[in-house]
This record gives sequence, C-alpha cells and structure tokens, in this order.
Amino acid sequence: MSEKILDIKDLSIRYVTEEETVLAVNGISFSLDKGESIGLVGETGAGKTTTALGIMGLVPDPPGEITSGTIEFEGENLLEYPEKKMREIRGGKISMIFQDPMTSLNPVMPVGDQIREVVLLHNNVSKAEARSRAEEMLEQVGIPKERYDDYPHQFSGGMKQRVIIAIALACSPELLIADEPTTALDVTIQAQVLQLMKALRTQYQTSMILITHDLGVVAKICDKVAVVYAGQIIESGTLKDIYTNKQHPYTIGLFNSLPDIEHETSELKVIKGLVPDPSNLPKGCKFNPRCPYCTPECCENEVEMTALSDTHSVRCIHVGEFDREA
Amino acid sequence: MAKKTRDKNQHHSMVGEVWHQFKKNRNAVIGLIVLCIFIIIAVFAPVIAPYGYDDQDATHTKIAPCREYPFGTDNLGRDVLSRIIHGSRYSLMIGFLAVTISIIAGGILGVLAAFYPKLDNIIMRTMDLFMAIPQMLLAMCIVAALGSSLFNLMLAVGLSSTPQFARVVRASVLSTRGQEYVEAARAIGGSDFNVIVRHIIPNSLAPLIVQATLSMARAIISASALSFLGFGIQAPKPEWGAMLSAGRKYIRQCWWLTVIPGLAIMVVVYALNVVGDGLRDSLDPRLKK
Amino acid sequence: MAEILRVEELTKYFNTKNGLLHAVDGVTFSVEEGKTLGIVGESGCGKSTLGRVILHLHERTSGKILFNGEDISEVNAQKLHALRKDMQIIFQDPYASLNPRMTVGNIIAEPLKNYKLTKSKEESEKKVREMMDIVGLADRTYNLYPHELDGGRRQRIGIARALILDPKLVVCDEPVSALDVSIQAQVLNLLMELQKDRGLTYLFITHNLSVVKHISDDITVMYLGQMVEKAESNEIFRHQYHPYTKALISAIPVPKYNAPDNQIILKGEITSPINVGKSCRFAARCPYAKENCFNTEPVLEEVTKDHFVKCHYVKEINGF
Repeated sequence: MSEKILDIKDLSIRYVTEEETVLAVNGISFSLDKGESIGLVGETGAGKTTTALGIMGLVPDPPGEITSGTIEFEGENLLEYPEKKMREIRGGKISMIFQDPMTSLNPVMPVGDQIREVVLLHNNVSKAEARSRAEEMLEQVGIPKERYDDYPHQFSGGMKQRVIIAIALACSPELLIADEPTTALDVTIQAQVLQLMKALRTQYQTSMILITHDLGVVAKICDKVAVVYAGQIIESGTLKDIYTNKQHPYTIGLFNSLPDIEHETSELKVIKGLVPDPSNLPKGCKFNPRCPYCTPECCENEVEMTALSDTHSVRCIHVGEFDREA
Repeated sequence: MAKKTRDKNQHHSMVGEVWHQFKKNRNAVIGLIVLCIFIIIAVFAPVIAPYGYDDQDATHTKIAPCREYPFGTDNLGRDVLSRIIHGSRYSLMIGFLAVTISIIAGGILGVLAAFYPKLDNIIMRTMDLFMAIPQMLLAMCIVAALGSSLFNLMLAVGLSSTPQFARVVRASVLSTRGQEYVEAARAIGGSDFNVIVRHIIPNSLAPLIVQATLSMARAIISASALSFLGFGIQAPKPEWGAMLSAGRKYIRQCWWLTVIPGLAIMVVVYALNVVGDGLRDSLDPRLKK
Repeated sequence: MAEILRVEELTKYFNTKNGLLHAVDGVTFSVEEGKTLGIVGESGCGKSTLGRVILHLHERTSGKILFNGEDISEVNAQKLHALRKDMQIIFQDPYASLNPRMTVGNIIAEPLKNYKLTKSKEESEKKVREMMDIVGLADRTYNLYPHELDGGRRQRIGIARALILDPKLVVCDEPVSALDVSIQAQVLNLLMELQKDRGLTYLFITHNLSVVKHISDDITVMYLGQMVEKAESNEIFRHQYHPYTKALISAIPVPKYNAPDNQIILKGEITSPINVGKSCRFAARCPYAKENCFNTEPVLEEVTKDHFVKCHYVKEINGF
C-alpha cells in the first residue's frame, strides 16, 4: 500500500442566505493515495466544485460554512489550519486549475511573470532562479520559452489552459485539483491538453482530483471514480468497477443518456426529471424522485454506503435487485 | 457551484427584484425617504408653509432662528422657512424636468447612434464637441442667448447634460444589441421598431435610471449655481440658489440666510446621490445572488 | 423526397482590422425535407455563421441559397418576413437567447404577434399553452421569467418559440451543448420526436460528434470555413477519409474502461481564417502534409458513393 495523501471524512458544506439554506455538500468522504487520481463526476449543482473549494479553504464565508467533517492532508486536518498556513499550502502543495482559461489569467501581466510569481511566493529563490523555473515550466507544457513576455490575449484558448497548468504545476504540488479543465476547449485541443496532463502527472507523481461531467475524460486519466449526486457520493470505485460493473441507478442512467458513438441507437434512455434543488432535498435517498426502482422504503431513511468489494461501494438499498441493462 | 433554482411558485418581476435588492441598502432607503418627504413638501407647499414666499414684514427683519421663525427671517422680513418650502418646488421641478429633457434628447440620439452606424460618427462626434465645453459655461451661454426664465433655465441645464446621456444610452444599447435574444427577436420575424421597443430599450434602462438620479442632483446644483450667478430665477421667487445669492451680502450678520438654503440643497442632492448609488447596485445583475 | 434547402458556393467574409475573415468559404450542400444535416466543426470553423447566413441574420457575401427551389439569396424586407415563418432557429445558450424581462408565455407568443396569426389574446394564449405542452413545459411556468427556470426548461422555451410558427426548416445551433448530460438526452429525444411528428428538417450545428451522430442523417465536417468531408452519418463514423475528420473522431474521449488508445493528437491549434492563401487550410496541422498542400487548394471530390472529401492525397492516405 502506498501512503495516503488526502483523506476526507464526512465533509458537509452549506450556503446560508436570507431566503434559503443550500445544502451543497452532504457528507462526502473519499481518500486518495500518492500519485493516484480520482474523478468526481456529476451534473451542475451536484456539489463537486464546492468540495474542491472546501479542500482549498476557499469556500466564501459568508454565505458558505463547513458544518462537519475533516479534510486530512498528509495526516493533518486542513480545516484547523489558520488562514496564513492555508495560503502557504494553496498554490504550493495543493493547487487548482479552474474551468475557464479565459478569465483565470491576469490580462495585464505577461504569462511568464504569472508563473514566476507563484514560484517566488512558495519558494525561497531569487528572481532569476524563479524566471528560469518559469521558462522551464513553459517548455514543459509545450510553449516555447521565447513567449515568456507575451500577454494572455496573444494566446489561444488551448495555450492559455497550458499556461494555467504550468502555473498549477510550477511548485510541484502534491495534490492537483482540476475543475473541468478541458470543458471550454475544442475536442482536438482537449485531446492535447489531456495527454499533457497525463504525462506531467506521471512525471511529477502528483495526485489529482479531476472534477468533470464528462465520463469520457475520466476514463482517459483517472484511476478511481466517485459519482456525486445532490452533494453525496452515490457510487465510488476503481475505473473498472464503475465502467464495467456500475450498480447505482443514477450511474447507470448517466451512462445510458450518452449517445453511443460506436453503436446505433434510435432513442436515448433518459433519466426522467431534474437534479433536485439543493435548498429543498428529498427525504431518504436523494435520487428517489427520479429513480425507476424507487420503493416506499427509499423515501424514508437516509441511505448509507454499501461496500460491494474493497474498492467498490454504492449508496442504494436495492443494489443488485434490478436488471442493470434495462 | 450550486446554481440556485428558485422556488418555482414565487413570482419575480423586475421591479420586485430591484426593490428587494434596494431595501438591503440602508443609506439608500433613508435617502429615498428624505426625497419622498421633500416631494410631499413641494406638492403641498402652500398648505404647509406658515407664510407666503413674498410676505414681507418690515417690523421683523433679520431675525435669527427662534421659536416663531424656526429658520429666521431675511432682510425684507420674509420667513425663511416658508421660502425654503416654496423653493423646494422650483428646485425639484428644475431637477426633474431638466433630467427629462436630457433623457429624451440623449436617449433618442444614443439609440440612433447605436442602431445606425452611419449616424454614429456624426452624433457622437458632435456630442464630444459639446462635452469639450465646460457644462456651466454651456448652460450660461444657452440662458444668455434665450433670456433668463424658469423654462430656459431647465432647458439650459437639460441640454448641457445631454451628451452624457447620449453616451450612456449608446453604450448600453450597443451591449444589449449584441445579445442573443435580440438576434432571436429578429429571427422570429420582429421588425426593427419591435426589436428596439420590446427588447432593447427595456434591457438598456438600468444604467439610464442610475444616470438620471445622479444627474438630477447635478441639475439641482447647476440650477442653483446659475441662479446664484443671476442667470436663473429672479427675485422674489424663492429658488434656493437665488436665496443663497441674496443672503450672501448678509453673511456676516445673518448666517442663516446662506446656511439654510445651502443645507437644503445639500440634503436633497445627497439623498439623490445615495438613491442613485443604491439603484446602481440593485440594478446590476452581476451583484445578484 | 423533395429537396428543401440547397446552398451553392455560399461565402461570408467579415471585414476585420487585420483583413478579410473567411468565415464561410464556398460551401455547397442540400438537405431533403424531413432529414437532418449535421454540421460539425470546432470553434471558429464558421458553422454558426453558416446557419445565420442561411436565415439572413447575416447577409451573405456571395453564393446562392435556394429554399423549396426558390432563390432566396437576395430578398427584400417583406419577403424576408414571410420567409422567416418557414425557417427558424434554436440557439445555443438558453440563458442569453431569452429576453430576461419577458415571461415564458410572452416569449412564446411573440412570433404569433409578429405574424398576427391569432385574432384574440385568448386564442394566442391557448396556442401558446398547447405548444408548451408539446415541448413538455408545465402549464404553471406560463407566467414565470426565464431566470426562474433551469437550463433544460429554458431550452424548451426556445424550442417552443421556434416551432409555434410551424416552420419547415429549423437551424439548431448547438442546442444541447450548454446542458447537463441527463438533460441533454431529454432535449435530444424531444427534438427527434418533434421532427417525426411535424416533418421538420433540421440543420444541426454542433461540435459534439456523439450528439451529431445520434441525430443526423448526413454529416458535414467543416474546417476554417470550408467543408472538408461529407457523407451519410453512419458511413462517416465507419470510414473517415480526411485527416482532420480522422483526428476529430479519434479525439473523442470514449466513456469505456480500457478503451483502445489510438488517438491522433494534432499539433498546433486552429488559426483564424484571416487572409487565407491558396493552400489546403488544414495543411499546417496535417500529419500527412506535403509541399503541394501548401501551394494549391484541394477540391471536394466524391471518393466513394456519396462520400465527399477535400484532400489532395485522400487516395494515398487511405490506401485506395
């Protein structure tokens, strides 16, 4: 067994405003070994990004508040860290890539300097050393170092996302959180960026949390998968567990609603209904209003995770009772 | 990040939403109340005021504020309180009508400039030309040319701030015009007029409303300044700026003749400004949660 | 089946500060009534512009547009008004394409007003409610504002607004790309159902290849304003002959465990189609490019039956 780098237990985060209380994350637990990568898959509003912000200590407070749980990073609970210590960790040991490459860069600062700034902040090095490190990072993500002094608007979307990856990896973080890193990119560019991320991750032995709604992207670069629905993990396991032996009705529905590129289908199987309003979650299993196998028991009590194997667990009381292909 | 879906039965109109945001801003609400009080005073001035604005009493001149005359009397023995109350009519009316003039003139010019590229350059360069002239000077020229009367004063103040309105409206319309729903409106067979009136104007109003509130404050100051300089309303009409000007001679003996009208101008202008700020914040969709 | 839309050598250039932008450059295709033509390409390939030029939301630079056999390349305002009744568009962004100050009912009723199709308010309201039912919008949403609804429902408003005039041709400009996976499937099914019931013809513009395969009869692949490959939908997924199409299809991440990794990773990125010269526009990124590709522009030619490819070396690359 390799060492555990991140261990999240029972994390709950909510947003309280005058009108309503939004239960964004409701008891999420997962752990990550060194060098491992996990994909958090789910739809808009499932609580994926909030979980990531929780780990980074960036949940806006108010209106956000962490109501329970621990986030252990290298054996220490991040939630007990003072802000000053968190600032050192952010961008240093843990860094994050945001979804939109167009807005994550400072438009009035040369891209090279933006990488150098991160290096200077987290390492005790001279400006010249930091610059050469930044140039090295640019080359690593496939941008010639001659472009160090160019501004973000002189780069295309894919190039900007590369710069952001360079910034995120500049301090050789232990943990990289990537929030929809390729969603804003075109397919052929996405393929380039994914290949780059995969290569760099192997090289740096970085652990990664990939947040996405795209099951194809997860299949390409993750070792483990956690399917998130209404702020809970409803199924988790290795890539193989989830892709070849999915058990939760939501996971099954999610896969079925993708148009298959290899086979012909006349009509897509859809999950009826909508993602529940996080300020007004259903009682019992959060998926019950949309579930084709829902029984009265499903609407009564909270459903706990059931372990199917060492790696695979599901949050469903009827697991194995229904025909998964139907 | 959780996108909040609202309670589906709740009905949210634009006005309702703006008010909801607006009332969170305490200063702005106070400003609005002050403004409402002044409007009520202006409407019912003859009823509220203890004396007429030109009732002279030669036996009671230059009396300092006391119980009988809360704001004192002036050199002709006129009650300052009554004059301030009557004067609120002029100040508010000038502010309101001058801004209406600039909204209409600036609005039309701005919409035309934004919608028809051929007119854009002609209109906007002319506006730039006007903006190069100090506003006060421009207003003075207009009054000097047309003669000093209440209407000409409003016209002068209104026209001199027209270029700002034209710019605000043009910018706002330009950004609305690029929205997809405007293209959609054309795709479903809407005429130019229909698109402008139903889709562009309602969605371009927010910055205009803010500009209008803030301009009203400026218009009141300009009008007062013009009156102070003798270009505006003439004695004995109790315009606040004119009162200030008249009291200037007695500033050493009778401070209240200048301080009171000055305070009145300040309070109204301040109220308008905080209301304008509040409106700007509540109309800005980016600040909505 | 009758041909409903035909475009010939359609071009649209935009004047920019840096020169002529060839957004759409010599595109020719036709669509039969009741069918779906998928137009695929990455951002900046001109696919959205193409749809808008056909609807006269942008005016074309040159070329011909024929609708029901009639030349509509140049129309006056009156004719355009009449034409738009038959040609509608569904937009990508259900947030931006609905006027935030209008209620759902008013948005869907607007086309009826523009064409004075209903005599009374009651009649119009009845029609709107019927249409809402057809696209699956609950009756109680009639008086709500768009921002009170989620993306899927908003897109249904856009669909209802486009279909209430009973158009023949609908341009769908990325209608599902802003939606979540499970909602995307619901909307795709709705679109296909409506096509069956009403005999609609779709021009389906998207960057998502799995979606386009699912819904289209024929597929056209665009690159920098030009068509590079065109064939029947299943055919193009079985055999891609153009190097760009090959890369595009191989780049789709497959949601399967241990999917074979035979991706073709292209070098470089899409450049902007400003001041393009006489060359194959894909040459700079093409793994097979030879000197000739940089000097002469290839033509779109039929390689196998009904399968068109625009490449000099299509035979060598694919070993015909």
